[in-house]
Amino acid sequence: MAEHTNNPVGKSVPRVDAFDKVTGAAKYVDDMQFGPGLYYGKLVHSPYAHALIKGVDVSKALALPGVKAVVTGEDTPGRIGLYMKDRYIYARGRVRYVGEPVAGVVAITEELAEEAAKLVAVEYEELEPVFDPYEAAQPEAPVLHPKMAEYQWPPFIFPEPGTNVSEHFKLRKGDVEAAWPKCAAIVEQTFRLPQIQHVPLETHVAISRWDETGAVTLWSPSQSPFAQRDLLAQSLGISHGDMRVISPYVGGGFGGKAGISIEANVVVMARAVKGHPVKVQMTREEEFVCTNVRQSLYAHTKIGCDAQGKVLAMETQYYFGGGGYNDYGVNIARASGYSCTGPYLIPNIKGDSRSVYTNTPIGSAMRGFGMPEIHWGIEQIMDRLAEKIGMDPAEFRRQNCVRTGEEILTGMKMPPVDLVACIDKATEAIGWGQKKPASAPEKKRGQGLAIMWKAPAMPPNPGSSAIVRFNEDATLNVYVGAQELGQGAFTVAAQMAAQALGIPYEWVRVSANPVDTKYSPYEWQTVASRITWAMGNSVKAAAEEARQKILDVVAEYWDEDPENLDIKDGVVISYQSEREQSLKNMVIYGLPNDNYEGWQGGPIVGTGKFMPTYITGLDKETGQGTRSVAHYSVGCQAIDLEVDTATGQVDILKIASAYDVGKAINPDLVLTQIEGGAVHGMSSAFEGMFFDAKGRLKNPSLVDYKIATAMDAPHEIHGDIIETPLDDGPWGARGVGEHVMVQTAPAIANALYNALGVRFDDLPLSSEKIYLALHAQETGEK
Amino acid sequence: MRKFDYYQPKDFAEAFELLLLPDKVVMPLAGATDIIPLARDGHIQPDVVVDIKSLPGMREIKATEKGLLVGAAVRMNEIASSPLVREHATVLAEGAATVGHVQVRNRATLGGNMCTASPAGDTFPALLVLEAEVLIRGVEGERSVPVLEFFKGPRRTALHKGELVVGVLLPKLDGAQGHYTKLSRRKVADLTLVGVAALAIPSEAGYVWRLALGAVAPTPVRVPAAEQILSQGYAAAAIEQAAVAAHAACSPIDDIRSSAEYRREMVVNITKRAIGKVIEKLP
Amino acid sequence: MLHEITFTVNNDPYTIAVQSQQTLLKVLREQLGLTGTKIGCENGECGACTVLFDGEPVNSCLVLAAEADGHEIETVEGMSIGGDLHPLQKAFIEHNAVQCGFCTPGMLMSAKSLLIHNPQPNELEIREALAGNLCRCTGYVRIIEAIQDVAQNG
Repeated sequence: MAEHTNNPVGKSVPRVDAFDKVTGAAKYVDDMQFGPGLYYGKLVHSPYAHALIKGVDVSKALALPGVKAVVTGEDTPGRIGLYMKDRYIYARGRVRYVGEPVAGVVAITEELAEEAAKLVAVEYEELEPVFDPYEAAQPEAPVLHPKMAEYQWPPFIFPEPGTNVSEHFKLRKGDVEAAWPKCAAIVEQTFRLPQIQHVPLETHVAISRWDETGAVTLWSPSQSPFAQRDLLAQSLGISHGDMRVISPYVGGGFGGKAGISIEANVVVMARAVKGHPVKVQMTREEEFVCTNVRQSLYAHTKIGCDAQGKVLAMETQYYFGGGGYNDYGVNIARASGYSCTGPYLIPNIKGDSRSVYTNTPIGSAMRGFGMPEIHWGIEQIMDRLAEKIGMDPAEFRRQNCVRTGEEILTGMKMPPVDLVACIDKATEAIGWGQKKPASAPEKKRGQGLAIMWKAPAMPPNPGSSAIVRFNEDATLNVYVGAQELGQGAFTVAAQMAAQALGIPYEWVRVSANPVDTKYSPYEWQTVASRITWAMGNSVKAAAEEARQKILDVVAEYWDEDPENLDIKDGVVISYQSEREQSLKNMVIYGLPNDNYEGWQGGPIVGTGKFMPTYITGLDKETGQGTRSVAHYSVGCQAIDLEVDTATGQVDILKIASAYDVGKAINPDLVLTQIEGGAVHGMSSAFEGMFFDAKGRLKNPSLVDYKIATAMDAPHEIHGDIIETPLDDGPWGARGVGEHVMVQTAPAIANALYNALGVRFDDLPLSSEKIYLALHAQETGEK
Repeated sequence: MRKFDYYQPKDFAEAFELLLLPDKVVMPLAGATDIIPLARDGHIQPDVVVDIKSLPGMREIKATEKGLLVGAAVRMNEIASSPLVREHATVLAEGAATVGHVQVRNRATLGGNMCTASPAGDTFPALLVLEAEVLIRGVEGERSVPVLEFFKGPRRTALHKGELVVGVLLPKLDGAQGHYTKLSRRKVADLTLVGVAALAIPSEAGYVWRLALGAVAPTPVRVPAAEQILSQGYAAAAIEQAAVAAHAACSPIDDIRSSAEYRREMVVNITKRAIGKVIEKLP
Repeated sequence: MLHEITFTVNNDPYTIAVQSQQTLLKVLREQLGLTGTKIGCENGECGACTVLFDGEPVNSCLVLAAEADGHEIETVEGMSIGGDLHPLQKAFIEHNAVQCGFCTPGMLMSAKSLLIHNPQPNELEIREALAGNLCRCTGYVRIIEAIQDVAQNG
């Protein structure tokens, strides 16, 4: 502890989790040891996209020696879901996507479980499936959830029972019909995005043990240990006090490990073999179909502006392909509804955002939560409008983007952000408007940019809490229930605790690995880029409480006013008497009275909580409300790329990003998010899940679902941080973890247009698609 | 993974005994990069796997009077970095260097790649233009077949039951310059959409050209029409004609990786590139 | 069938019994408890299971444990024997080249092998050497920088 990094907020201190991760010591769920009593589970998946289950015969599987149990829908009568409780843990009566768990087999070895899973005989009656979200929303589409009216959902979700629409969010502002005639330029276009997958390096894995006493434990790599506890407790009738979720390091989340997925299936398996832990690990192939994916989107959007480039009106229809169960997805459609304009001030809006049941894997949260999907179309239309009226696309965005204090689409006042500064920084870094020559005669070079916004999409009242606890030598343990996904949550928790207490960063230990619902303070979920902000506020509050307790003890000891005391470098000082009191020992043992006649103080513990209390509902018919969300983070990305016209291959030369994070608690960690997000965003533009006519995934492996390698990553990634403090953020901070990939795909599309003069309305991009489009254009021109 | 028995025979006699075990599904194993994932997914169900990479001579690269001998169990990275291969058969070194990624190339072998006989094998166009002889050994003795006759179709070869590929012989081609150009969806570590090997061999009149395509037909194919055109001179117009001839010689399929249409177009452009690269190398 | 194999792992000698179909990956993790080597795809596509086999990086999911008989294996746990971090490990920490950490052990193995074979790689060579190691978090930027740092400064 030779080093004393005081006031660490705003400093790029080292990560607290890095040492464990570079030595192989970091434990992930699959690394945990359970001894010889461990059983293995294997899921039986539906081979049909849409079918009735006529019967399940488990007798052959059960007869296999070493098989301990087989569970089916018979064992899970209660529905489960974070927002829309729309599914059974194991299918009952009907299956709605290829890969849906129909049964679970428990055996003494993994191989045996796999063998027995093949012996579970399920009789199906195939039904007509529907895959496209727009088609699924039409009246003639087969209805996937005929009993939707019976489901439970929170009051801010508006499903349409009798159809496949699980959420319909309406945004109405101004008068679009009256605005169109005033527009000098209008662009109307349909955009389509396929489902894509998170592809965390660690696949889903879960281990559960159900004790005879009724205590239930789940070990899972989870962004949501507390939400999982709540959902399992509710669905399976377990007391929250008896349901324990333990979650060590997560090997990549990106939203895929938020909410609940296979974990519930494993808990039900464990119930059948009480006393034995049961482990289920998704193969990479299962990961693609049996865990969560990002929804597909059909977007039809029309935007118009006047001759001066002022955007006047927008009309948009979003149909999110939510998969067989929409659970989390309903809130993605909602978030995409109340943010449907993207980061623009538009006076007249008619927006409809729907989540639609489709016979595909479950669409759920993925980094950006609806925003990457809707920005794909919006940001290309804005480029086209700028071109139509002859304005520079960056200038067009500067003119129309939202600014602090303006009344945005929902009627809410825009919290403090500086998007113009983001545009300025990103364009400066890319050398905007100074197109450089391509590196070879057959190559074409182009620049493009895109801007974004995103709010943390949550229920109105997600809570965070934290505890700080001193040790004898004044080192401090910080307890949080937030999860370390790699984004640096633990590190910023330590920084904030040190800053708020006045102790060196090196004195702080983070006691959060594993997150354990039995010991960790409550955290709603590690999602929505909300942790630095929400957890941060609770850590700050806990540290401030501990600080006050210390000052009170010392003030009484010195007979001074606590107002005149402070803690600096781990020492209590008095501005009045210039006395000093080290924190060492006193934070546990207190301070002795004169002549040791009694003691004052005692072990110092601080607790803190945070919950936004100001979020209002939104009107069902208009989407209007005074404060729809906590805040927005904004940013701009600019891209320089080159296309090989002989093959269509794209070389991303540079991505320059600038995001307004309020306050960078750890600037270097913000930059690592910006860099990683740029590559994730770039990769996502070339990713897609492709299904055959029966709804079977054609590329469920890394052989044919390609993510970017080190060779594909841009030659240069530049990041700039803008800091416009947020009123209720700790030291002004707000999140940035998701924002960094929201607009990468449309920025690439705009750069491709700049290079080639060709527009791409549908994702994914591919060398083939680019080459063929370019070729068709050339042929057409001839 | 389903159970199987693994053997590592010390000599060919023992290997053939294992390979000919009656009533068993027996598979030779070299780099294991295909066998393990296929067995894991149940696409193959071997009872016995016979690790043949320690058999005598299987891992040798040596110059002989007839040409360069490359053992079947020589790994892709060894081929890619071998001074002998780089000197005598650059085009094969280039092909081997594009297989998968570093880790796979440290395991995958030339013979294994050939016996898997994927139409997209990255060493095959090179072997075709080098007119390699495939050395085969069975319990009855040794034989060799021209590489063009070795590949019979996707995952089908000229091997008989119980036979092993023990190596390839690359005939001496003094002064020849070749190049392998690969196109895939991603820049690296991806399966080939189009692979083109071009080779120019000095002759009295100039150069004799050879051209072979991978991944665009059930087997790798030579393009004699293109070769004739180029052998009469490789000016820009000839390159264009050769590329058109390559286009005519291919018969790609539509699949998850690409459409046949794109593959056909790319045969033209990648062929031009491969030829261009060879020309750059010519003195 | 069972095989008795004798090999070294991180310079320590082991003689253990393995089944024919067991992969080196599973044996390292389950029998030797060396869980630093990760399971990502079991298909040789992601690189999370990369170990050094006689000094060369391989996907341990594509190696049968029986094949390791008589060979030398190195895993991430072997990089800091004696408690001193390897320069690459230090550089990964200093450059924030670690996020979720799941690809990190495999990345370190590939990086170590690269620097042994090519002590002064250029950026392209580094990227090529990492092509078989997928990372979804970092965008590879800091990993490349960390390796460059070690190459330049030791």
